[in-house]
Amino acid sequence: MHELGVVIGVVKKVIQVAESNQLQSVDTIVLQIGQLSSMIPTYIQTCYPAAVDGTMLEKTKLEIEILPANALCKACHQVFNIIENRSQCPHCDSDEWGLLSGKEFIIKEIIAQ
Amino acid sequence: MSIDTTPPPHLCKAGVNKPTDTRLLEQFLNKGKMMGTFKTLEIKESVFENNNIQADLLRDELKEEKVFLLNLMSSPGSGKTTTLVRTIETLKDEMNIGIMEADIDSDVDAHTIAQTGTRVIQLHTGGMCHLDADMTRQGLNGLNTDNLDLAILENVGNLVCPAEFDTGAAKNAMILSVPEGDDKPLKYPLMFSIVDVLLINKIDAIDFFDFDLDAVKQRARKLNPNITIIPISAKTGEGIAEWTDWLRKQAKAWNQT
Ligand SMILES: Nc1nc2c(ncn2[C@@H]2O[C@H](COP(=O)(O)OP(=O)(O)O)[C@@H](O)[C@H]2O)c(=O)[nH]1
Ligand SMILES: [Mg+2]
Ligand SMILES: [Zn+2]
Ligand SMILES: [Zn+2]
Ligand SMILES: [Zn+2]
Repeated sequence: MHELGVVIGVVKKVIQVAESNQLQSVDTIVLQIGQLSSMIPTYIQTCYPAAVDGTMLEKTKLEIEILPANALCKACHQVFNIIENRSQCPHCDSDEWGLLSGKEFIIKEIIAQ
Repeated sequence: MSIDTTPPPHLCKAGVNKPTDTRLLEQFLNKGKMMGTFKTLEIKESVFENNNIQADLLRDELKEEKVFLLNLMSSPGSGKTTTLVRTIETLKDEMNIGIMEADIDSDVDAHTIAQTGTRVIQLHTGGMCHLDADMTRQGLNGLNTDNLDLAILENVGNLVCPAEFDTGAAKNAMILSVPEGDDKPLKYPLMFSIVDVLLINKIDAIDFFDFDLDAVKQRARKLNPNITIIPISAKTGEGIAEWTDWLRKQAKAWNQT
C-alpha cells in the first residue's frame, strides 16, 4: 500500500522534530497535499491510525489541506485549475500550459501544547 | 539471497530540514473554546523532496563507484523478467551484471534470474507498491556492488507511483507491452514523461491486438520529446540488439567519466 509507507515516513519525521524540540505530545499534524498527488487524502486518514499505533503520536490529530492543481496558460497567461477545466484553458481553450501547483505532498507544520 | 526492506525511512536524515520557525499561536479548539497556548512548529518539508535528496546522494556514490544503475518499471506481466533474461544473455560476457528483483512477497523472479548465473537479490517490499531511494540503497548493499558494472532494479509492477519516487538510478526504463493497449500514455502520463527509454514489448503479438504503434510513439513523444523508443520481443529476440546497444552505450558513458 502506497499511502501507509509514506505516512510511516511522515510519522518518523514528526517524532524526530517533536523529540528535538522536547515536546511531550503533539496535538495536530498538518499536511498539504496537491490535487495531482498520488496520495489520496481519505486513504491517508484511513491508514494514519496504523502508522501512529504504539508511538507518541497515538492521540495526535491529522489535518490535511488540499492545494489546487493550478496552471498558467502559455497563450493568455491566466491561471486556471486544470482538473476543473479538463486540462484546457477556460479563457482561450489552449492546452499549452505550465503547472504551478498540485503535485505537493508536504508536512506543513505540527501544533503542540 | 533475499532481504526484507524496512518501511521507508523517507524522512529520517537528521538536520536536513530543521523546523525553521517556532512561533506561539493562540488556538481555538472545540468550537471556539480557548484551550490555552499552543505552539506551531513549521516543518515545510516536501516528502518527495527528501527522497530526491537521498536519490541524488545515491546516484553520486554509484557514479563514484562506476556502477550504472537502471530502474526498470512496468505493469505486472509486461515482460520485465523475460527482457532481463535476454539482456543478461547478450551482455554477460562483456560486463558484470547484478539484478535486484522487487516483489511484494514472492521469490519467483529471483529464481528465474538466478538460473542465468547472474548475481541477484530478491527485495520484499512488504506491501509497498514502489521502491524509494532508501530501499534501493538497502537492496544494493544486499546485492553487493563490488566489481559490478551494471545493476538493474526490476521495480514493483505498477505504472503509477514508481514514477514518483526517484530510486537513484542513472537511467529509467519502462516496458509497455502490446496487449496492454496503446492508450497507456494517456492514462499514465507521469511514467512516460520521466523515463529515458520506452521498450514496447511483445511486438511479436501485434497482429492479434488493436495496438497502434505510431500512436503510442506520438503520445509518448508529446509527453517526453527526448524519449528513446524501441519495439522489442523478449520472446523472439527482435529488437533486443538495439536495446542492449542503447544500454551498453549508456553504461559506458556513465562508467567512463
Ligand atoms: N508473446 C510474448 N510473450 C512475452 C514476451 N515477453 C514476455 N512474455 C510473457 O509474458 C508473461 C509475463 O512476463 P514476465 O517477464 O514475467 O513479466 P513481468 O511481470 O513484467 O516481469 C510471461 O508469460 C512471458 O512469457 C514477448 O515478447 N512476447
Ligand atoms: Mg517479473
Ligand atoms: Zn507506491
Ligand atoms: Zn501506489
Ligand atoms: Zn488561456
